[in-house]
Amino acid sequence: MRKYLSITPLIIFFCVVVVFFYFLIIKRDPSYLPSVLINQKAPLFETTSLFNNEPFIYEEEFGNETVIVNFFATWCVPCRMEHPFINQLSKEKGIKVIGINYKDDPKKAIEWLKKLGNPYSKVAVDKNGNIGVNWGVYGMPETFIVNKNNIVLYRQAGPITKDTYDNFYQQIKEGNK
Amino acid sequence: MAPTLGNITLWLSLCFAILQFFTSFKKNNNSLLLFYKIVVVGILLSILFSFFSLMYSHIISDFSVLNVFQNSHTTKPLLYKISGVWGNHEGSMLLWILVLSLVNYWIYKLYNKKNYIFISNALQIQALIIIGFLLFVLITSNPFERISFDQPDGLGFNPILQDPALAIHPPLLYFGYVGLSAAFSFSIATMRLHNSDEVPWHNYMKPFVVAAWSFLTAGIAIGSIWAYYELGWGGWWFWDPVENAAIMPWLLATALLHSLITVERKQSLQTWVLLLAILAFLLSVIGTFLVRSGILTSVHAFALDPGRGIYILLFATLLGGYSLMLFAIKSKKFSNKNYFSFFSKEGSILVNNLFMIIVCASIFFGTTYPLFVEIFSNNRISIGEPYFNSTVIPIMIPAILIMGVGTILSWEKVDYKKTAQHIITSMLLAILIILIFFLFYRTYNILGLVGIALGFWIICSVFVKIFINIKKEKNKKILFSAKFLKHFNSMTVAHLGVGLLILGITGSSVWQKENITRMKVNDETTINNYNVVFKEINKIKGPNYVALEGNFWVYNQQNKIVTVLKPEKRIYPITNQTTTEVSIHTNLLRDLYIVLGDEDILDGWIVRIYYNPLVIWIWIGVLFIFMGGLLSLKNNLKTLRRYN
Repeated sequence: MRKYLSITPLIIFFCVVVVFFYFLIIKRDPSYLPSVLINQKAPLFETTSLFNNEPFIYEEEFGNETVIVNFFATWCVPCRMEHPFINQLSKEKGIKVIGINYKDDPKKAIEWLKKLGNPYSKVAVDKNGNIGVNWGVYGMPETFIVNKNNIVLYRQAGPITKDTYDNFYQQIKEGNK
Repeated sequence: MAPTLGNITLWLSLCFAILQFFTSFKKNNNSLLLFYKIVVVGILLSILFSFFSLMYSHIISDFSVLNVFQNSHTTKPLLYKISGVWGNHEGSMLLWILVLSLVNYWIYKLYNKKNYIFISNALQIQALIIIGFLLFVLITSNPFERISFDQPDGLGFNPILQDPALAIHPPLLYFGYVGLSAAFSFSIATMRLHNSDEVPWHNYMKPFVVAAWSFLTAGIAIGSIWAYYELGWGGWWFWDPVENAAIMPWLLATALLHSLITVERKQSLQTWVLLLAILAFLLSVIGTFLVRSGILTSVHAFALDPGRGIYILLFATLLGGYSLMLFAIKSKKFSNKNYFSFFSKEGSILVNNLFMIIVCASIFFGTTYPLFVEIFSNNRISIGEPYFNSTVIPIMIPAILIMGVGTILSWEKVDYKKTAQHIITSMLLAILIILIFFLFYRTYNILGLVGIALGFWIICSVFVKIFINIKKEKNKKILFSAKFLKHFNSMTVAHLGVGLLILGITGSSVWQKENITRMKVNDETTINNYNVVFKEINKIKGPNYVALEGNFWVYNQQNKIVTVLKPEKRIYPITNQTTTEVSIHTNLLRDLYIVLGDEDILDGWIVRIYYNPLVIWIWIGVLFIFMGGLLSLKNNLKTLRRYN
């Protein structure tokens, strides 16, 4: 038993090193994120709404027009950077944005939206991150474009910024065609 | 001229390091010392020369050096020209090697007739580490690389690095990382020799570990202070890969330090210490790899280059492969049958060691998890604060409870009845304080109450321990004499610091309030019983920036002015970057923290105001821990001198 115990650190170390080598050798762009949801039906969910605690019913919100689904949290610094762009999409371009408040304190979230402006037509609460799991969310923030047939057209992992805003808006316009 | 000379001496130090490596194979004791003297001092002097010639190039703004051109500018203040030497990848690696050669010199100074084989072996490993890092710098990141064309001025300096805290943060951190290299070398030397000479290897290892641990503590704290004052996000810890790379070796060094005390007192846990010494340094090297290779993304803007990553990883593989193989073969020689009970000082130290390892492993897992997932599912993920908080906090709670018990337990045979009395006294004291706290603040936040309780539990256990020690003294009038201060030894001071640190962490994370709002001049807002009035905004000019400075007058409930806060928004025209300068009003109970954001002509300025309770206690706590480390260092050096 002792013999195996003393060799364990070596084995673990080599496994870790092999993984690191693999990543150095393959060429990869650390900011690219694929999604299996593209061109699939958006995953259904039932939860409560942030502001009034009433049930958030999926069918009422989706299926009539192109909708943007934005996962956000108050603990996430990039979300704050992204927020003006979500505001812009909702208030200037008139696009329907549904917010999903991910693993967050509802009180803080309400406060946050009051201060920074609320671009969302409805905010669904994802207290335990279950909706995030179904949508394959990896980190905060993430934003999806869902068309009127409930098909996911595009996924933006990470914040919408000055650089990615135009491309994102273009994707929405294409989804409307 | 200076850069050329610096480059030459850097190569020269490589020659010396190779010589040191081969010298250690020689067996003749008499000529050995002289030979060592030449090579060890040779390495130190040539690297010192190299380092200062790089500093000189930065000070005189010699833009023919690529490193200076990329990271400096003529308008930069002198202090930051100097700290700019290690504010970039190449220069910081040179500093790393300089510290390595200082530690190498220190090990050499311990050389004597009794221990020369042991020290020779340690110096051999140390030479190998120096060679590895020197080759790394010379091949992949030479700071003396020249550019052929004339440059009128440099590209400038990342303005968020222009901060006094960040000027001393890297040197402290590197003393920590590199100090652990000595523990690594001693561990290998011990295993190789089966300790046949009966060298008290733990006495050699301990001062290096204590020094490394103290500097690592201070370095991490200064990094946090920088994040708190400079980044302007209202917090001081973000679970960024760079922070994790520093906290992981720190956790292992903490475990190592406590186990070393056990080895010193009871000769038990020897294998465990040898393994921890290896792992702590390996994690420092792997942390460097994670940060500098670009394999993970981070807020720290190091220049990234996969070639560097491959090199450090190869080097880490060599070090880790060799040392862990040696451990697998030789470690059983060091296991002994000194069993001890769970309810003893050693028992509590061992259990807390395991907790430290688990915390370290879960941070390592969280930091590298995205990579592992990508292999198996081809998906990219990132995990942040919720993961780390939900894994680290639950493990830390029992660890802190045991830490309090361990503080009270003594090394001698445990008298269960008396010990139980002491523990209960300490608990009752903590509960009493919590009740007073609860009655005073009427808070129902469970996590907050638990945190405050744990903080006071540690503080009470320290005072109970001091009381026990005083009771043992013959002279009962000790309370009024200078001898009383003697009981504030390394352990009590450091543990007191941990208690204060827990209070600070709890206060600032549980009861933080934030108010993000848009304000125009003369607007008013409130945060936690304070009224904040935006009085005016002024343009000011700094040495290499221009800034807009907001004036915020803060009133308390009685409408008396508390302070005027002046956050800035700085624009550095050379790099065309803007930074925010936070303005903070601190007292013992809370920080008021204001950040000036962007301006919108119609709606006014975005202003972020934070009410951060107890933050000052984080820094005071760390200061205590650091002082505890220094006190322990003093004692350990004394012990070592006695043996040497």
